[in-house]
Amino acid sequence: MKILGLLLRNFGKFQNQKLRFESGINIIYGENESGKSTIHTFIKGMLFGIGRGRGRASVYDTYSIYEPWENPGYYSGILRFESGGKTFRIDRNFDKQNKKAELVCEDDGENLSIENGDLELLLGGMDLSGYDNTISVGQLKTRPDQSLAAALKEYATSCCASGNGDLRPEQAIQRLEEQKKTIDKEIREALYERQRQRETVEQEASFVWREIHRLEEEEEQIRERIRQAERTRREQGEHKRLVDEIRPAKWRIHPLEIVIFLIAIVAAIFLFQRPLNYFVVIVVFLACTVYVWNRMKVGKDKNQVSPEEIMEEILPEEERASVEKLGWELERTVREQKDKQIQYENLQEQLAEMDVVGEKDQVLEKKRQAVQMAIDKMNELSEELKLRLEKQLNEEAARIVCQITNQAYQRIRVEDNLHMFLVKEGKRIAMEQVSQGTAEQIWFALRMAAAGILQEEEMPVILDDAFGNYDDERLKSTLGWLDEHKKQVFIFTCQKREMKLLDEMGISYHLTEI
Amino acid sequence: MGASPDAGSAYSKKRSGELWDALAEVVRTCRREETELLLVAGDLFHRQPLLRELKEVGGMFASLEKTKVVLIAGNHDYIRQDSYYRTFHWSSNVTMLKEEKLECAEFPELNLAVYGLSYHSREIREARYEQERPRRRQKYEILLAHGGDENHIPIHKAALLAQGYDYVALGHIHKPQVLEENRMIYAGALEPVDTADCGPHGYVKGELDEKGCRTEFVSSAGREYRQIRIAVDKAMTGFQLREQICREIEAGGTQNIYKVRITGYRDPEIRFDLRGMDVYGNIVEMSDETKPAYAFEKLLMQNEENLLGSYIKSFLGAEENSVEYQALCLGVRALIDTRAE
Repeated sequence: MKILGLLLRNFGKFQNQKLRFESGINIIYGENESGKSTIHTFIKGMLFGIGRGRGRASVYDTYSIYEPWENPGYYSGILRFESGGKTFRIDRNFDKQNKKAELVCEDDGENLSIENGDLELLLGGMDLSGYDNTISVGQLKTRPDQSLAAALKEYATSCCASGNGDLRPEQAIQRLEEQKKTIDKEIREALYERQRQRETVEQEASFVWREIHRLEEEEEQIRERIRQAERTRREQGEHKRLVDEIRPAKWRIHPLEIVIFLIAIVAAIFLFQRPLNYFVVIVVFLACTVYVWNRMKVGKDKNQVSPEEIMEEILPEEERASVEKLGWELERTVREQKDKQIQYENLQEQLAEMDVVGEKDQVLEKKRQAVQMAIDKMNELSEELKLRLEKQLNEEAARIVCQITNQAYQRIRVEDNLHMFLVKEGKRIAMEQVSQGTAEQIWFALRMAAAGILQEEEMPVILDDAFGNYDDERLKSTLGWLDEHKKQVFIFTCQKREMKLLDEMGISYHLTEI
Repeated sequence: MGASPDAGSAYSKKRSGELWDALAEVVRTCRREETELLLVAGDLFHRQPLLRELKEVGGMFASLEKTKVVLIAGNHDYIRQDSYYRTFHWSSNVTMLKEEKLECAEFPELNLAVYGLSYHSREIREARYEQERPRRRQKYEILLAHGGDENHIPIHKAALLAQGYDYVALGHIHKPQVLEENRMIYAGALEPVDTADCGPHGYVKGELDEKGCRTEFVSSAGREYRQIRIAVDKAMTGFQLREQICREIEAGGTQNIYKVRITGYRDPEIRFDLRGMDVYGNIVEMSDETKPAYAFEKLLMQNEENLLGSYIKSFLGAEENSVEYQALCLGVRALIDTRAE
């Protein structure tokens, strides 16, 4: 892009001021307060419009400062420039009532639209902050601000994607992260679903297991009852020992026993001498009585014990039948137990089969891996591109610094957030340690390097009293560099130093005096 | 029996009942056709049979007046220490070859001997069927065998054929397949019991006489697992895809159970929503294997210098079904979708 000329119809102190510019170095010379900065602001305003502050901020904003004192309704101007071999004209009216902005191609008369971004396209995508941070160097404002760092960072990865808008890797990564989250959720849901199925089977298994235990208990109870039945039968058996066997069941005392007792008593009378035999007879008699009485009592007790036993005693066939029934019960519980056991084991088998990872899980897992891989790769590549750009910026800036400072500083390092270091004789020197002049030269180099990288279309360089702190040598080198590398340069100055040096170096320039 | 396979949302619940119906149908067929011999080559049950299940099967077999039934236990329903197979009393027409060693059941009225053995454990790695030759006790000799893979009695086809059985009825593998025409056949599962059991299922019907054995496969399964592959192109939309799936299912029969694979290259802007596609409730699996129709080469040419270009370059040459390829598609899509307009 090349600025061909300006018409300040009514802007600040100027009225119908026409300016014409050439390729190469343009020097706009004027004394203090002659309006150099006004022209500078005018160019910026023409390219990007003049924003208005709000409320109190509006009192001293650019708009108010350059609002003409007379005829404020006529606050406007024209800027003609050449881009891509065609000549364009921007016609703006800054006045708040009659605000307008037109962009016309003078070659074919085509009316272009600033609102739709046609101007932006012609400027190679440069916006106001890009302009301020690179090509336009204001008075004592050499140092680019943080937005350049951000712009460079974004630039590192974005670049135009085949003319279809800029890539935004950070958003892309964010998108992928979201996808990963969705997949994670799907995996979780699949897991949950499997868990749910598992739980259903587990529940069934635990039900069967409880059933098994219930049956075991039942079995134990039946066994206990059978044991009891057998024990009572055995006890009865013990009671009926020898004598009982002889004795008819219905009789509590066998007649033979009574005969034996009588014989014993009679024998006692004869066997012992008097008077001892009386005593023995009494003792034997008492013993017999006690025995008989006991036998009678046993019979009585039996009549009074639990009704079950009465039943058993009364109906021995039924007793046998109930034991048999218990046996059947036992058999049933054992059978059921086995059935349940098999069922339980089948369910366990089913559970074990459920642990096998399904095809669906594998697909999801693969997709998850793919997303992760995409994220990693993208991060890696953006980092790589950033480093590559950093390197490019370092090299470019170093080349410029090297030339301007006449090889005093051969290397500079631009680190994160445009934190810069100089390298001189192998030592790192922070920017804060160097002189104001050197610092400005380094910032200048950085701006020029960044402009070279960021701008697709080469833009004119505008320097508004930027060389105040330069010594002659360095200024000479700087001017030499500008002449060599830039198509169009504007130098606003209130000194004749630049002209003198350019004359000395034999570089032609176009002078505009205000 | 005893399996509960996934058969899609509409059929899964009644599926295990349907498996019983299938056996009942075979028994009815035997009765109707007065079949002389019914062979069950193991794995009658998917797991250990319960007593009531055995009673049910026993009842079915007992109703066959003219048919002899010979069965063995397979690796799924192997004869465990406490298996009901040990104690169950089959009706007189049913013979179960329960031994772990090859044994023989003879049917003099049919001039037939059936050889076989039962599994007593989940796995048998010995090639037991080739260890013994048939004893030539009867005119016709049949081997009822189960397994055939490495862990379930390996079978060497040639060696087994050389043993001289008139017919070898094989079980274990669910998919019906003929190892040797008319001589050695896997009947397959009567009904498909696993989503992997694609294709027709049924039983093998055969006739054995002096002229040899002639068999035919009878497809009797009520439902089939079928795989349909739908190839999409760039013009296919989600609605069209759904329509096509419906059409294919209608053509293949809505009673069948489907596994749907969607392949091909789709419009990169479209993502198919698979949830609404199961119209008849008989799709058990659906996989979207489509790839976005990106022209990577062209994109790479246009974006040589930027992130998109280097991203594509870093995945260049990835196999189409690999994780890398998927990452490539996902990343490119994310980059293109998030472009600043």
